[in-house]
Amino acid sequence: MKISLVVLYLALLGGLIGIIESGAEDVFMEATRPDFQKIPIGIFGFRDGGDQDPNGEKAADVLRADLRRSLIFSVADLPKLGIRLNGRWEKDAVDKRLAQQASEQGISVLVWGKVWAKEADMLLDGYVYDGGSGDVVADRRYIGSSSVLRQMTHRLADELVFRYTGEQGIARTKITFVSEQNGGRELYVMDYDGYGPRQVTADGFLNLMPRWSRDRRFLIFTSYRERTKQHIDMVEIATGKRWTLISLPGLNITPALSPDGSSLAFATSQDGNSEVYKMDTNTKAFQRLTFHAAGDLSPAWSPTGRELAFTSDRGGGPQLFVMSADGSNVRRLTYEGDYNAAPAWSPRGNWIAHVCRTEERQYKLCLVSPDGQKHIRLTSGPGVDDSPSWSPDGRHLVFSSTREGKSHIYMIDSDGANLERLTSGGTSNTSPAWSPM
Amino acid sequence: MRKVDLTPCIAVLVGGLFLVGAGCGKSIQANSGAKSFEPGAKREATSVPKTTASTGSGPGSSSTPSSKPPTAASSPREPLSSEPETPIPSLSTLDSGPGPFNAKKSDEQRVPGDLLVAKTEPSDMSRRQVEEIQREQVATAASGLEDVYFGFDSWQISNEGKQTLMVDAEWIKANPSQKVTIEGHCDERGTLAYNLVLGEKRAKAVQTYLTELGINANRLTVVSYGKERPFCKDREESCYQQNRRGHIAIRVQ
Repeated sequence: MKISLVVLYLALLGGLIGIIESGAEDVFMEATRPDFQKIPIGIFGFRDGGDQDPNGEKAADVLRADLRRSLIFSVADLPKLGIRLNGRWEKDAVDKRLAQQASEQGISVLVWGKVWAKEADMLLDGYVYDGGSGDVVADRRYIGSSSVLRQMTHRLADELVFRYTGEQGIARTKITFVSEQNGGRELYVMDYDGYGPRQVTADGFLNLMPRWSRDRRFLIFTSYRERTKQHIDMVEIATGKRWTLISLPGLNITPALSPDGSSLAFATSQDGNSEVYKMDTNTKAFQRLTFHAAGDLSPAWSPTGRELAFTSDRGGGPQLFVMSADGSNVRRLTYEGDYNAAPAWSPRGNWIAHVCRTEERQYKLCLVSPDGQKHIRLTSGPGVDDSPSWSPDGRHLVFSSTREGKSHIYMIDSDGANLERLTSGGTSNTSPAWSPM
Repeated sequence: MRKVDLTPCIAVLVGGLFLVGAGCGKSIQANSGAKSFEPGAKREATSVPKTTASTGSGPGSSSTPSSKPPTAASSPREPLSSEPETPIPSLSTLDSGPGPFNAKKSDEQRVPGDLLVAKTEPSDMSRRQVEEIQREQVATAASGLEDVYFGFDSWQISNEGKQTLMVDAEWIKANPSQKVTIEGHCDERGTLAYNLVLGEKRAKAVQTYLTELGINANRLTVVSYGKERPFCKDREESCYQQNRRGHIAIRVQ
């Protein structure tokens, strides 16, 4: 793996980057490493079909944003550098001279295309020129209705990420969250970049802490449909069909599906105080995992499914603990500060994001390594940061924050850079969860 | 800030696939004034979902492990809606066949409609709940029952709180036909999840004290709302104090 990484670096430095096909999946690119050399990419844009709707411009904006968020590419402003297509937008639009011009600016990958209409369809043609191979290496056509132009562009972005890293991109992932409506809390889903929020439930009361099923068809969440009872329900997004998964007496909260979907961990207060349980999703059999008079909650699976992090106030204030998936080997994970809660284990396994209370009594995001040795604070500023959830590629986190007054959903890189607000309307948006790929 | 796309909702016909997206339905609602809420400003025109949304027999029913009634888990389980009961779909299997995220090698791809979201309509249950809450609020205000307040991060009942609960207990004893809900609430600081547990500890502390004062426990229902139903929304200590509360409410059947 190290060797391929070195080769990759050399290729990048020499501007000789070739296409890395699927064989490169073992190349682990930690994009947030400070010494990581991003791939310079230039986007000419997309020529419009000629109508007034600036679809080409929209597609270019979406693509630039997707590639920036991928953390793989550094996106160059080609017009600013005086590099332009000369009125031609076809597959062979990039000639030797243009490629040379880009190469002199250190740009090795060039993207352009067309957005046009054909009968009822909208078409997005995307071309990718790669300086290393000196040729057009991708020629893609996406066909769909005009309403899915963003989705088509997200596909192109994900395709670029896959070509150059061998990893799945996140541009087509979704985020679920909870939004206040008429005093109630309803579930919503939106694109990973905050576009197209759509309402999933309309119960009129509280629905809290949604989580995705592996196939992204269902959301699992705590529902107060019966007001004084808190069940863990599941809703099928496409149909609104509902099931009650867990209806033990008391508070049933913080559902967390295991990585293979075979087990649903959650917290219930049926024993008087909150304890972590898990339910076999096939047999529906329960197993109690924690045994303590204090409150145990918020189980978070490790990516292997072998361990669970959870919150417990057995030491007074809430702290993070880790246990094996059968409840054995409980150990305390956090010792810094008097409040650590809401753990979320990263998909790469190397960090556990959580909410930490700072010395100024602010609730911010922190990372702790699973061995408890490394501790990093990710966010600062006013307000309460809550409910961190990892992107499936492990490069970003989504969370809620009241830093600007009302609670909104924000995205941040896993190193704390590039804070981006995703929601802008509503009175309170909370409890985000990032979908699987 | 961001560009807000207010393109009006358009029903789109695509190659025989006809569907008005859920987002579209919502825009109509908004226009009719029924709901004017938009949680995010970033909105595309509408989504055109594919027609292959699951139908009839229920999602994943082929892979559903069994159709036997749910065990221990789903104790006495009232149907949540008027729909016939559908077995709980399996959560441990993924859809077979190429999902939307499987990279395709062909150069030409048809991009299906965006994530299909069912059109959401407030249920009868939600309307009943709203009415029920209103009636409870009126009954509670009329009863003169007082709430108790808690310290930061604490679920201990103060001496003042005990005085309040003694008065409340007299009322509850004097009105033996009334059932009471004890709601635990928290201020906005701290995490949503931990505050639910903290709120439950507060409600149970009140319940325990009232039973010590001779109230039959089966007249007292406990519920935690964490920080989800604050009484006051300002960001200052006087408001936080208001929200760290054990709220005693009359239950209306």
